[in-house]
Formats: sequence, structure tokens, C-alpha cells
Amino acid sequence: MHIPDGYLSPATVAVSYAVMVPLWAYGFKKLKEKLDEKTLPLLGTLSALSFLIMMFNVPVPGGTSGHAIGTSLLSIMFGPWVAFISVSFVLLIQAVVFGDGGISTWAVNSFDMAFVAAFVAYYVFKSLKDKTRFAPFIAGYISINIAALSDSLILGIQPLFWHTADGHPLYFPFGLSVAIPAMMAAHLGVFGVIEGVFTQIVYSFLKKRAKEAKI
Amino acid sequence: MNKNVKRALIILGFVLLLVPLGLLTDAPAWGEWDNDFYQKTLGFVPKGIAQAKEFIHPLLPDYSLPGTNDVVGYYISAIIGSVLIFGIFYLIGKTIAKKHDNN
Repeated sequence: MHIPDGYLSPATVAVSYAVMVPLWAYGFKKLKEKLDEKTLPLLGTLSALSFLIMMFNVPVPGGTSGHAIGTSLLSIMFGPWVAFISVSFVLLIQAVVFGDGGISTWAVNSFDMAFVAAFVAYYVFKSLKDKTRFAPFIAGYISINIAALSDSLILGIQPLFWHTADGHPLYFPFGLSVAIPAMMAAHLGVFGVIEGVFTQIVYSFLKKRAKEAKI
Repeated sequence: MNKNVKRALIILGFVLLLVPLGLLTDAPAWGEWDNDFYQKTLGFVPKGIAQAKEFIHPLLPDYSLPGTNDVVGYYISAIIGSVLIFGIFYLIGKTIAKKHDNN
């Protein structure tokens, strides 16, 4: 889901930054409100965990690979705005230091993997947490899938709008009918499950300890 | 230290230790291909993609350190990335603490 530079038209890039800058500003304000000596170590650790979990590439049929993102765990632990900003930072480090995802595409990547994933995870978890103990799994599974859907929509519209006079795509070349099934099959089948299991395991681990710590 | 943080750090350490498992596949992510993939599949590289590749020079491209083997490079990348992320939150925490002091 880390869209590289050159894959999106300048118009897409411009719109994405116009949308994301106010969201980043608001989210950063929210994060600063929540961040103190008590929350900082855990938030830093879980953000680093999000970075590391994205390094676990898992192959899927069709010659590609993918990974979990860890956004849902941050979101159900700290709320969607904090998760959104934290994962945006992770994506920035990945783009600048490791060349994973572009600079021009940082806004779109933050929208998909940070903003969309965080808010979907938060509301799914909130509505299910009193109904099932698997709410973290479901939040992880659904949130990464909606993020993947958003990613495939943004990629898939590129050849529709931006091509040369003779029909050659200028940026990402595959349309919606290719992008959506490819992205969704891999995430519904594999990466969603990994994100769900990761969220469930780490969340249970931490929550259990939190209760013990209170006693 | 809060028990939750201790637990989270243990998980982080464990995941860090296992990070080379991420190297078991060299298949690229869907939609994150090299230019020769487009050359092979489409017979050309879309202009925007062909032009973009040149202006980015990451320090540790693809989580590798040129001159070391893959596993070492991956470990170093994992550590540097984690430290940078902690650093960001530490700096934000510092600025907040300063603001509190001034009030």
C-alpha cells in the first residue's frame, strides 16, 4: 500500500495534500493533548511496533507480497487521531529514510494506512467491544481492508483520467477493474487476517497487564 | 516503569529479533513494482513513473545498507527506524514539557 513517487498524477497529489494538511494539523493538536510522560513511552513503543510489523513481508499467490500495518492496535489503545498521526510519522520515516512509499504520495499513503485504517478500526472496535472478545481482531481485519480499498480506488482512477492522447497511461497504469480485485483478494484473504491476529494478540497482552497493574 | 510499557517493549524486542523473517520473500508488494515490471508487462514504463525514480535517494534503500548482507542491513534498518520513531515522540514530549514549565 506504500504508493511510490510517480504513481499518482500531480492533481491527485495536490488534492491529497490539501485534504491532509488540515487533518494532520488537527490530529497533531489532539496527539499533543494526549501525550505526556505516562503515555509517551507506550505510544512510542507501539508506533515503533507498527514500523517493524510493516517489515514482515508475506508472499501471496500472484507473485506479490504485503504486510500488516499495526494502525488498528494504536487506534484502539489511543484513539483514532493519535493513531493517525503516529502512523503518518512512521510512513514519513519509511519514505525519507528507506524509500518505502514516496514523498509526493505521503499524503495519500497517510490517508489510507493511517487515517482510514485508524477511524475504521476505532469505530468497529467501539461497536463490538462489549459484544465479543474478538473485537480487536475484527477491527484489525476490517480496517486494513477498507484502507486497501481506498488505496486501490486512488490507484485505479489514475489511468482513467491521466493518459496520453493515444491512451498510454501517464502514471499508475492499471484501472479499477484490475486494482480493486487484486488488492482486495490479498487483504481479505491474507493481510487482513495478519492485522487482526496482531491486533488481538498484542491488545490482549497489554490489557491483561493493565488490569493487573491496577490491583 | 509501567507494566504495560514493559510488556510492549518485550513484544517490540521479540518482533525486532524476528525481523529478518520479512526477507523470506523478495516478491514486491502489489502496485510497488520496479520499472522493468512495467517494461515487461506493458511494453513501456508510464512517463510519470519513469521520471519519478531519479529524485529520491534514501539513506537505506529498501531497508538495506549497501555493502552489508541483507540480514544485517535489515536489522540495522529496523533499529534505526525504531530509534527515529522514538526520537520523534521524545522531541514532541520535550516541547510539551517545556510549554508546561513556562505556564
